[in-house]
Amino acid sequence: MLKMQHLSKVYRTHMVETHALRDFSIHVREGEFVAVTGPSGSGKTTFLNIAGLLEEFSSGEFWLDGVDVRGLNDDARSKLRNEKIGFIFQGFNLIPDLNLFDNVDVPLRYRGYGAAERKKRIEESLSRVGLSSRMKHYPSELSGGQQQRVAIARALAGSPRLLMADEPTGNLDSLMARGVMELLEEINRAGTTIIMVTHDPELAARAQRNVHVMDGQVTDFDAEPALRVKARDTDVEAAVA
Amino acid sequence: MEIRPIISALMRSKVAMILIGLQVALTLAIVCNSLFIINQRFEHMRRPSGMNEADTFWFGSTGFGQGYDARATQLADLQLLRQLPGVVAAAPAWSVPMSGGGWSTGLNLQPKQKTSTADTALYIVDDHAVDAFGTHLIAGRNFKPEEVVNATFGDSLHPAAIIVTKALADKVFPGGDALGKQVYLDDDPPTSTIVGIVDRLQQPWTNSKTIEYTTLVPAHMPFGNFTRYIVRTEPGRRDEVMKLVEQKLAESNPSRIIGKMRTIEQTRNDAYSNDRAMMIILGTVIFLLLTITALGVVGMASFWVTQRTKQIGTRRALGATRFDILRYFLTENFLITTAGLVVGGVLAYALSLWLLTHVADAKLLPWYYVPVGFVSLWLLGQIAVLGPATRASRVPPAVATRSV
Amino acid sequence: MFSYYLQLGLRSLRRNPILTALMVLGIALGIAASMTTLTVMHLMGSDPIPWKSDKLHYVQMDNWSPDNPYNDDGRPPDQVTYRDAVALMEAGKADKQAAMYKLALPVQPANRELKPFQALGRVTYADFFAMFEPPFAYGGGWNRDQDAQHARVVVLGRETNEKLFGGQNSVGKTVRLDGNDYTIVGVLDEWNLRTRYYDLTIGAFADPDDFFIPFTTGIDLKQRSTGNNSCWKSPGDGWDAYLQSDCVWIQMWVQLDSPARLAEYQSFLDSYVNEQKKSGRFQRPLNNRLLDVNAWMADQKVVSSDVKVQTGLGFAFLAVCLVNTIGLLLAKFTRKAGEIGLRRALGASKRDVFGQFLIESGVVGLSGGVLGLLLTGLGLVAVRALYTNYKTVAQLDWTMIVTTVVLAVAAAVLAGLYPTWRACQVAPAAQLKTQ
Repeated sequence: MLKMQHLSKVYRTHMVETHALRDFSIHVREGEFVAVTGPSGSGKTTFLNIAGLLEEFSSGEFWLDGVDVRGLNDDARSKLRNEKIGFIFQGFNLIPDLNLFDNVDVPLRYRGYGAAERKKRIEESLSRVGLSSRMKHYPSELSGGQQQRVAIARALAGSPRLLMADEPTGNLDSLMARGVMELLEEINRAGTTIIMVTHDPELAARAQRNVHVMDGQVTDFDAEPALRVKARDTDVEAAVA
Repeated sequence: MEIRPIISALMRSKVAMILIGLQVALTLAIVCNSLFIINQRFEHMRRPSGMNEADTFWFGSTGFGQGYDARATQLADLQLLRQLPGVVAAAPAWSVPMSGGGWSTGLNLQPKQKTSTADTALYIVDDHAVDAFGTHLIAGRNFKPEEVVNATFGDSLHPAAIIVTKALADKVFPGGDALGKQVYLDDDPPTSTIVGIVDRLQQPWTNSKTIEYTTLVPAHMPFGNFTRYIVRTEPGRRDEVMKLVEQKLAESNPSRIIGKMRTIEQTRNDAYSNDRAMMIILGTVIFLLLTITALGVVGMASFWVTQRTKQIGTRRALGATRFDILRYFLTENFLITTAGLVVGGVLAYALSLWLLTHVADAKLLPWYYVPVGFVSLWLLGQIAVLGPATRASRVPPAVATRSV
Repeated sequence: MFSYYLQLGLRSLRRNPILTALMVLGIALGIAASMTTLTVMHLMGSDPIPWKSDKLHYVQMDNWSPDNPYNDDGRPPDQVTYRDAVALMEAGKADKQAAMYKLALPVQPANRELKPFQALGRVTYADFFAMFEPPFAYGGGWNRDQDAQHARVVVLGRETNEKLFGGQNSVGKTVRLDGNDYTIVGVLDEWNLRTRYYDLTIGAFADPDDFFIPFTTGIDLKQRSTGNNSCWKSPGDGWDAYLQSDCVWIQMWVQLDSPARLAEYQSFLDSYVNEQKKSGRFQRPLNNRLLDVNAWMADQKVVSSDVKVQTGLGFAFLAVCLVNTIGLLLAKFTRKAGEIGLRRALGASKRDVFGQFLIESGVVGLSGGVLGLLLTGLGLVAVRALYTNYKTVAQLDWTMIVTTVVLAVAAAVLAGLYPTWRACQVAPAAQLKTQ
């Protein structure tokens, strides 16, 4: 589903070069639920941005669902993003001036679906997150958990093959967070690949596989299923050290 | 296109939309009416005087003292003028087109007619006047020298022969058979015969409603000690001849004052200076108005782009191309402008009606000014928003994952 | 607190120099456009003699053709005939009265080095000077006896005296006009007339008169007025026939010191016209008018419709500029929602926030006003260049300067009011949580 090899990302300002990712390799298979963890500044956001085609990389190889992403221009990347990836952000990123229906509608508009198709998908995905009764409401009228459900509905509406979640419960209290997490697991069970970036080890523990990013490099726990089950933050860091 | 969601988003921030829309509306109303006024003035100024304006000048001569013989001086002056090199024609003329001062009278078909058939300006001239004005005889003949009679100012005018403009001839004799007809310039007989018709010669008053109704009357008739002359020169020699005339006439008779020499071009400039000033002022207001409105659009759009950076990033993350973002802002501007223009169209006619009731000679705004205004302001809005919209399209999609 | 807000305002304005410049320029242009046009309109239409404008009345009588009105809207002729003017002067029923007309005469300087020149003057009665109160540099007007004696006396305008006598006191000397010698009895000082309201028939913005001579003396010259002359039927041949004709060419003013005197004069005028009707004149319905100075100026449209349109346009433009400023301030203040929330959280009351932002918009208004005042000055220079005859009315006076600044600040504060009010609605700390 997603494969990166020897990928690196260098930020250049006129003074310094910063290696955000260095010789980064990862392979996420179809249907997996992968948690990407790491402390602040480790490069996990950079990974997310590159994996989600939000940013370009400096060197290396990257295939997304069989497509070689290298050298794609901005428009092609936008199209790919729109068709293959659904995004869930920490801050929900709903458009405050649009009601729920129109918010979910945003990616479908860019997909170029007809009105009937869009309406069907919006209603389906909103009912999937349990909010079909509030289609005409505006984001500000909803709780944080409900807003994130809308964001999930928006991400799902286009039937993406890959769901990228960036700290999806970061702005939610634990009760709401649990609900969102359960929803993600349910989506994963239905066949959508999920990559979730989080700094919360408890959340990471619920994924099938953990990838730990540290100083722009990756530690893949795929090979060590034992660790995966009962890993604690300190343990992981100890293991890496 | 995504018009409906843009509208519903706009409805959530009505004030900003209303402000820009109102600005566009007022701008349309003012620009349409101002342009219309400018155009009316332009048409007003463009009317031909019927004269050769490039090569002609005029001036007055005032004698003083008891011994001054105005008529003799006039004859001597004309003889002198006609001999000067570069002079094509010279004639006495009580007034000239666009000068603002002159004489008029009612022209009648019956003696003691209660309401005149037409009001006409009178140019008291001699047989060289058609040539000196540079107007063209299209029917009949010029005055004969013997028709230029000696007359005293203050006495009734009964010229045997007159020359009229085509416009006046057609007004008095709609059948087109004015030549040779008899008319009354006074309440009583004798009548005057129309011996010639010239194509065009304006009255002295630029605001006259009957500006082309002019009559040439042949007479040597100074206004007290005052005579006015009109001189046409060979092409390109006007300024040189003007200097020469001033010098020669001053030498010829010390007991008189030669007034300022004025070219017809200056006369035209002075006559229409208020119209020109109005055009310049309105033009300046239009320019400033469009500038302010454009800057307002740029300011508001820049603000919106900054305010919605995160939203733009999110849209990009969800698959919007740069062009989609550009188009979003262009469409948004188009919608706001259109709303403003619709209101502005109504305002434009409200303003026009107000002008109609408060300003003499105002006319109702012709309909085509409104669509022209629509297109212009649409273009202005799109051009103004292009900068901020381009900036918006360059917002990187990674903004979506930035936490603040 | 005020100085703190002022400081904050200035700092905030400095931080967005382009936006600030845009707002200040917007207000300044709006102010300049509206004030330039308003100044011209205000000065054109302003009362030229406020202390007695309600006492001076312009006499109009309808002696026009029974078949055609003088004006389509029924207003009587704007001048009177010689015979009526003289009859009214001889009746002397008003507190003061002066008939007048405009005359051009050649001036022959005694000094041989000066060339003769044409002078435009006024032929009138002794009361003129008491009625219209021109300032004298030397001497004074002539008296009613001299009117009666057809005296060869003259009052010179300041410029004529400057030309002929280098500005010296020339009272008692003589000046030769068209071959006749006149004794100088007075010399006017600079007469700052914005509008030459006493003779509007030849345009309100003409140059000041070069000289004044008695009406009776002027008539002896047998020279026609160089102002307007209108006849509805042929006057007949010769000067005497012209004087007896129904041609109108004389302006007639009377001074009536109280409303009672005005009523008396009105009835005198009516009975005069009714008397004349018996001899076959004045065949139109009775239509006598005694408009005072301001009413006469309005009647003669001293403030042209062009000027009115321009003023309307100026204010419409100001409205657009204000709407523009409201938008920009709104944008600016909205962007500061975070700061406002923080300030509120730190203890600022709504009033504090209101004060702070209102002062910021006030600063914009004041700067716009000052710049607008400068631009108004430039605008008036431009108006003087465009309309050469408006030099007396395209001037800034103190009223207008104060009006400009007040208008600018009021406009900017008004424009700042709504954005400021919006800024105050930010709840404390509401902005701190999100974003």
